[in-house]
Amino acid sequence: MHRGPLMRLAPVVIASLAPLTAHAVDYLTADQARRLMFPDADVFEPHEVALNAAQLQALAASGTPARSARWAVQTARHGASTLGYVVVDEVIGKFELITYAVGLNADGSVRQVEILSYRESHGHEVRLPAWRKQFIGKTTTSPLRVGQDIANISGATLSCNHVTDGVRRIVAVVEAARRNRLLA
Amino acid sequence: MRPDLMNPCPPAHARLGAITLALTLATLTSGAWAQDADVNRRLDKLGAEVESLKAQLAQARPAASAEPATVFTSYGELNYNRPKGGDARADVRRFVLGFQHRFDDKTKVVTELEVEHAVSSADDPGEVEVEQAFLERRLSASTSLRAGLFLIPMGLLNENHEPTAYYGVERNTVETAIIPSTWREGGLQYVGSFDNGLTVQAGLSTGFDLTKWDATSTEGSESPLGAVHQEMALARARNISTFAALNWRGLPGLLVGASLFTGGATHGQSGYPSARVTLWDVHARWTPERWDISALYTQGRISHTAELNTPLVGNPTLIPSRFDGWYLQSAYTVWRSGDQALSPFARYERVNTGRRYEDIGSGLTPEPLPTERIVTVGVNYRLTEGVVVKADLQRFQQASDSRRLNLGLGLGWSF
Repeated sequence: MHRGPLMRLAPVVIASLAPLTAHAVDYLTADQARRLMFPDADVFEPHEVALNAAQLQALAASGTPARSARWAVQTARHGASTLGYVVVDEVIGKFELITYAVGLNADGSVRQVEILSYRESHGHEVRLPAWRKQFIGKTTTSPLRVGQDIANISGATLSCNHVTDGVRRIVAVVEAARRNRLLA
Repeated sequence: MRPDLMNPCPPAHARLGAITLALTLATLTSGAWAQDADVNRRLDKLGAEVESLKAQLAQARPAASAEPATVFTSYGELNYNRPKGGDARADVRRFVLGFQHRFDDKTKVVTELEVEHAVSSADDPGEVEVEQAFLERRLSASTSLRAGLFLIPMGLLNENHEPTAYYGVERNTVETAIIPSTWREGGLQYVGSFDNGLTVQAGLSTGFDLTKWDATSTEGSESPLGAVHQEMALARARNISTFAALNWRGLPGLLVGASLFTGGATHGQSGYPSARVTLWDVHARWTPERWDISALYTQGRISHTAELNTPLVGNPTLIPSRFDGWYLQSAYTVWRSGDQALSPFARYERVNTGRRYEDIGSGLTPEPLPTERIVTVGVNYRLTEGVVVKADLQRFQQASDSRRLNLGLGLGWSF
């Protein structure tokens, strides 16, 4: 019997059943977060933004490398008008992953940052609304760095730095995507 | 969370699933597939596309997207101390290895094993210690419970004691001599963190053991509680201590907090009165832009010291009834580029490990110790995240080594 093709498929079948991530402490689902950010949206259009080499180089040259060429960006729409964008991402906190969502206005400025999952024993203060509010209105022209326009949280330094770096990267990627009409 | 909302690139994953399903169905429904070279060719082609999509997916995902069930952690510090007129020393001050493991969504264990002074043997100065070993169970999104050996939430340094987290080669004297960092106890701890910025920690734990006070040693005058802490090494535990800490971080960049630890410390041992150790502190840290300013005051008290000290009369180190200290520290990041940063700092400390002694009679009651004043001026150079090179000068008003130069390398990493 020729079992070759079936055997070759087995690991792929198993891999496709495995979840992308298992979540520990979920404060919000991604769906809840985007509806919180854009309560007026009637649809969230998924886009797979693929940055080309020149766009990636431009981002790296600006001091904010994109980390990945491909990004899933959702466009929040109300009828024909674009309300803004939502990007869900993960960064390492001190030891473990933090899942967070960034909502951006139609002009690319930060509208809201939400922590979806936090898994550390310490440093959970990045969830504090007062800390997250600092990001509102930030654009690619903002430093978006802890110790400059974003205040640190004592005892949660690494989580603060890494979430801030992540938001800066998302702001840069969405701006590049808008400029290059990749979200149309 | 729905996978299709996750970045990066869920569509690739979705496509992979769809292709897999199609392949599986095609495979199962085609009775003649084994004989059909064309089907095989198509399968190979589709297989190649699956591989390509897998590669694309792997590339698109963040470096560490797979949630770690186990995290390996480590930190260490290598110090060089050169006192004026004294012996210079180079020391692997501490090297710590840790494991964190998550059993499930809500339960994890955190452990740290520490080696101090490089070599631990009967003839060497080193020590091997279990610094942390606790189980954490999350009760809700904002509350959790810890059980085991954990760091006591007091001051600014004790729970954040990695060398990359503080200024200066040596930890500040107040949080070494008065608060005996790295201070841990075994017990049960509640942690609640709320949206208004308040973090509440409280619990029951083991405490100090005054019956092991060594009046012949100077250890007790260097750190009264460092001399009687138990570190859960066959700890006497008839008396259970209680502790609580409140920290408020409601304003970004500001931390204001206070903590209290109190408990019996003679554990019903015959010949000893029922004495109590109490330690409290208030602290604040403010980090506006490039500044990092912190201040702390802490005070410890021991009850029934007259009864405890009477049998010890004649020895050099009796038990103080009160000891305290405070410091003010300011740092400013003068330069930074990417992850690199250069931050000069200055710290002024006042420490008294024997502020007051209970009266045990004229000629017998020890004189209060003089207050030590320490000025530390130096610089932290962060080479990259997790690597800090430090240099500072310290001047002590009382101690014989009135000045010393310290150089240090601090490291912290995890994967």
